[in-house]
Amino acid sequence: MSDLIVLPLVLPLFGAFLLPIVMRTSISIGAWIGPAILAYGCWILGDQWISGTTLPFSLAIGGFAPPMGINLYIDSLALLFAFAVQLLGLLFWPFKIDQETARRQALMLLLVAASTGLALSGDLFNLYVFYELVAVATFGLIAASGGSAAYASAIRYLILSGIGSVLTLLGIALIYSQTGTLNLAHLAQLAPEQLNNKLGLTAFLTILIGVGVKAELFPVNTWVPEVYATATSRVSAFLAGLVSKLALLIILRLLVLIFHQPEAIQVMLVLGILGVISGELAAWRAKDMRRMLAFSSIGQLGMIFIALAIPEQGGLLAVLALTFHHLLIKSGLFMLADGWGGAIEKLRGAAKRSPLAAAIFVLFSLSLIGMPPLPGFWAKFTLITQLAAQTSPLYLIGLTVFLLATVIEAAYLLRLAALLYGPAAKDTPIDTLAKPAGLSLATASLFGIGLLAAALFIAPVGDLLNHVAGQAANTDLYINTVLAGTGGSQ
Amino acid sequence: MMPDISLELILYTTALGLISIGLAGVVLSRHLFRMVLALGIAEAGANLMLVLAGYRWDAVAPILTTLGEHPPMVDPVPQAMVLTAIVIGVGIQALAVSILIRIRQRYGTLDRSQVVERMDAEIADTASIPRDVSQESPLGERPLPSIPDSTVEIRGGHS
Repeated sequence: MSDLIVLPLVLPLFGAFLLPIVMRTSISIGAWIGPAILAYGCWILGDQWISGTTLPFSLAIGGFAPPMGINLYIDSLALLFAFAVQLLGLLFWPFKIDQETARRQALMLLLVAASTGLALSGDLFNLYVFYELVAVATFGLIAASGGSAAYASAIRYLILSGIGSVLTLLGIALIYSQTGTLNLAHLAQLAPEQLNNKLGLTAFLTILIGVGVKAELFPVNTWVPEVYATATSRVSAFLAGLVSKLALLIILRLLVLIFHQPEAIQVMLVLGILGVISGELAAWRAKDMRRMLAFSSIGQLGMIFIALAIPEQGGLLAVLALTFHHLLIKSGLFMLADGWGGAIEKLRGAAKRSPLAAAIFVLFSLSLIGMPPLPGFWAKFTLITQLAAQTSPLYLIGLTVFLLATVIEAAYLLRLAALLYGPAAKDTPIDTLAKPAGLSLATASLFGIGLLAAALFIAPVGDLLNHVAGQAANTDLYINTVLAGTGGSQ
Repeated sequence: MMPDISLELILYTTALGLISIGLAGVVLSRHLFRMVLALGIAEAGANLMLVLAGYRWDAVAPILTTLGEHPPMVDPVPQAMVLTAIVIGVGIQALAVSILIRIRQRYGTLDRSQVVERMDAEIADTASIPRDVSQESPLGERPLPSIPDSTVEIRGGHS
């Protein structure tokens, strides 16, 4: 039943507004609603994948066929992202019971619903609405998660994100004034004639900067270190691991379907390179773990933008490999930062206090640097071969920066690993050292197991990603699926 | 002779002008509340742009279907979208103002640089690392002045 695919989108939305009411009468019932909805969502999406429904398909909402109506477009890529959203929502569920529980869990459900919408929607304005919903839920979660600094970082993020949404809206208005449609498939059909000009380029660049706020794109990422340092680790992990990737997914779709101008790609390449340089250098200089991870996340996203600038299917494969790799790693690392969030110096000798956490940290670090046979090596290797195959000098600059960044990455990650395994400072007994809490450590271990599993089954995983990339890169398939296949469905 | 300026041109200029004024306001303001207001202005500009995208000067409003003959109608889609965008904008403004109230309660100020300074200090303090002090303050790290009690409301202030 392919119609069931709307449930992972609708149920969390419904639950988000129901939860505060239920929580008033019974907290013990209310506490189960969220996880139950998310588990059901995981089950539906996983079932779609396993039962072998013919992908991709398109689902017209409300009985209006596209391009007039709004449709959901479900291909392997969208399904994979939607599944990741539900699963990570479940893993990062705010279990803590206190006065704010109802609000926090409702916001989390809202965030999951909107993120699923971002993964599935096939309409540009619909994407914008979900994007704003994600933003609102995010601001709430950040502000709810801590002291005064969290409010300050939330408002700064809100203002930057507001600028982003104005720019996105401007880009949407430009596209609409030129084509008169906002359905992605219809746009893809019209783009070669109507958007292959300066106006189309302007529209793309405004949307790129606008959506780039969430994707941690170079000039509009000042919120990243502040927010990740002040929000709780679970929120930071969800934002860094997933929400940034969903913003990236919008850009990927636009780039594949609509905008093919070389200038657009060049701008993205340059911004990606600058992001890698600034992010990695700042991470190298950071003195506390959270901000180190935040800056490193900027650098990693920059690498993905470099990969996105390669206009072939191979580039897309590199994008997906880096994206899912970073999703696993950064989520896990932020879970470790739950107990190790403070100054790096304080972690001297912490491996004796919590050997498992230290081992997981080393595993993640090695994979992030790109040590074979861990998956990080294959992700980076794909990108390197793709970059080296390009002839334009800009790509070679990208390659150089990418390799240099890997060295810097190794420097700061291994420095921390050495501290962890080094001797503890003389005046601090081992028992007083910081240690990740049990639940966070368990979650981080899950990501570690996932990483090891990916390393063991690297060949099938690679084939899968290649298949997903092939499907996502096929513009004609997208157009035909949406505009021909949905005449009378739903 | 008057140059030929059409109403449409004026409106498009207005839309872009509003966006520029808003963005300039966000960048140049020192007060957080003004930044939020400037954001509102920029949003109005983007909305106007969206309405203009589907407007036709020779057409009637899309609900006037009882006029007998069927004249061309204005494209209703952008108007629906602008309605959505306005609602989203209002929601975000309300959220922003409520966060501003909390900041005013905790920090006793809404000046951008002071709020940022206190936030940096708090982040550094939680992580127990020395604060990053810029080259502009040659005396090195100076303690921030304590927040005067008279400006901080107790309710919701220190919780």
